[in-house]
Amino acid sequence: MCTETTMNFCNSAGDSCKITGVVITVENLYKTYGAIKAVDGISFHVEAGEVFGMLGPNGAGKTTTTEIIEGLREPDSGSVSVLGMKHGRGSDKIKERIGIQLQAPSLLPLLNVEEVLDLFASFYKRHISVEEVLERVSLTDSRKVLSKNLSGGQQQRLSVAIALINDPEIAFLDEPTTGLDPQARRNLWTVIQEMKNRGKTVFLTTHYMEEAETLCDRLVIIDYGKIIAAGSPRDLIRSNFKESAIQFEMASPPDKESLMAMPGVTQAAIDGTEVSVYSQDIPASMAALLKMAEQDTNGGLLNLHVRQATLEDVFLKLTGRKIRE
Amino acid sequence: MKTFFKLFIANTRQFFRDRMALGFTFAFPVVFMVIFGLVFSGAEEFQYDVGLVNDDASPTGAAVAEAFGQIPIFSVTEGELEDQLEELENGGYRAVLYIPGGIAESIARGEPVDIKLYYDPSQTTSIQIIQPVVREFVNGINQMLTQQPALVRLQEESIQLKELGNIDYLVPGVVAMSIMFLGLFSGLPLIQQREKKILKRLGATPIHRANIIYSQVFLRLLLALTQTAIIIAIAYFLFDVAILGNWLMLLALILLGTLTFVGLGYMVAAFARTEEGAMPVIQLIQFPMLFLSGIFFPVEFLPEFMKPVLNALPLSYLGDGLRQVMVEASPVFSLSTDFLVLGGWLLASLVVSVRFFRWE
Repeated sequence: MCTETTMNFCNSAGDSCKITGVVITVENLYKTYGAIKAVDGISFHVEAGEVFGMLGPNGAGKTTTTEIIEGLREPDSGSVSVLGMKHGRGSDKIKERIGIQLQAPSLLPLLNVEEVLDLFASFYKRHISVEEVLERVSLTDSRKVLSKNLSGGQQQRLSVAIALINDPEIAFLDEPTTGLDPQARRNLWTVIQEMKNRGKTVFLTTHYMEEAETLCDRLVIIDYGKIIAAGSPRDLIRSNFKESAIQFEMASPPDKESLMAMPGVTQAAIDGTEVSVYSQDIPASMAALLKMAEQDTNGGLLNLHVRQATLEDVFLKLTGRKIRE
Repeated sequence: MKTFFKLFIANTRQFFRDRMALGFTFAFPVVFMVIFGLVFSGAEEFQYDVGLVNDDASPTGAAVAEAFGQIPIFSVTEGELEDQLEELENGGYRAVLYIPGGIAESIARGEPVDIKLYYDPSQTTSIQIIQPVVREFVNGINQMLTQQPALVRLQEESIQLKELGNIDYLVPGVVAMSIMFLGLFSGLPLIQQREKKILKRLGATPIHRANIIYSQVFLRLLLALTQTAIIIAIAYFLFDVAILGNWLMLLALILLGTLTFVGLGYMVAAFARTEEGAMPVIQLIQFPMLFLSGIFFPVEFLPEFMKPVLNALPLSYLGDGLRQVMVEASPVFSLSTDFLVLGGWLLASLVVSVRFFRWE
């Protein structure tokens, strides 16, 4: 279904060569740590120019898989090819053409922003100017600030900036927005979208569903080291849900059977006091729910709302758990 | 080469921005040097307070009293016997010398004169020095009075070009100590960078990771040279201790010594996972060495069974080598032994570090 070769062709209008085809191929990857199967038989491929997401809860094996693809870890078995090359002998050539952002910021604390970028730029044969990368991640104003004095969001952006300094064909971003406030998160989303617009490939891991939904062209959902779903966010939602979700809280929720018995309801999930009901006929299901609420003596329905199904719902449906448990 | 240079610049910047490391590397040896210098360079002019009672009115008594007053290590105060003895008991004097009355007459009659030395036997250390000096003094007076020339005389000559004082012994010691600290602590930045995943991040770039180590070691070597230069300058300008030996040999010894202790520091980094874990290990290495390697006092003080320990410590050889080269002190080991043993320790620590060091 996918070819191992990568083809380069130059766009006559653009000043840089664009890469097409498959840039990452992962086949039957396994990695265990003691009794824990961190990666349990994973296969997928990433195409040039897409934002590819790896979505899953903490400890699902995202970072291990990513670091094997980056060449920072060795798999127990399975094969990885990046830009048509294998790790090992070709590692330096691969490292030259990819950008890596580790989950930890990994910044030299006593160097300022500019000095950190200048240092990393010097490690590559080809790199963009410190000026330009500062502009892209909006750190120009903080260029003289020591990295230990940067805010969490700024540190993450600097860490992403390091991943971009060699103008990589593939940027690996491992949970780049974890712990950021919504504003900082959106700033980083812009950086990622700009990369895509430049024709670069972005490999993104996250446990934020909406982030994956907004940014990713294609994604795999991974749980306990296995891929449990793959596709574009829209396809994943459509193939799992033809219905919308009604959500509410209830101090003492009814059992699943009574919810399923309501008209139009195809699926229901109860998570503590939070209830999600998936319905093909919202007015009919809603009427039944309100009738049930009238008989409830324990505070009735709270925070009732209706929404389209999301990746969060897909995860809930596939695993029976919420992703941030 | 470019990578090495860039990493070196980055390391240097970080070092000079780290106030703790900076103070430890430069302020500490300077303070140490100045305090040691002030305490020990004055030792040669040290004097004991001694009381004198002269009950003799003749010129002979006065001559004896005057001669006693000229003994360099005594600061002499004259007074009445009763007052002087009370002062001795109160600890104001280390000893009191009593010249009885009528000594000129006794001498004329050929009778022996008893000059008395009162002392407090509990003050053992000072008495051990004062007694022989006073005996020698009394012998001198006898010789002078009897006009008999001495048949055998002792001529004292030091084999050193220059008389070595305590301070001369200590300067190489401070240099050796500083090099040991600098070296042993050089593993800490590496541990920090490993803990913060910086080593991992650097490893994700196309550079050769050995450059990270080389650039750090190079910085340590420059710091050791700077440190030594500062200590030597203080010793020379403040305390008049000059370097007597071969400067090239000194340079070689400092570089080898630094490499050896950096090797030991990296060995610590190979085994300790965290900075907190490394600190006690470093203390465990450095404290025995400080006290058992003879860098601050001659090793003759140590009991015999400790000698094998001394002979195993790399600091013993660095200190000994530095003393020989810097102030031409008499060797404990030969200079080539010093170089060989330091080189051996360097090799051993390198082998262990390379074998056990983890980048993550």
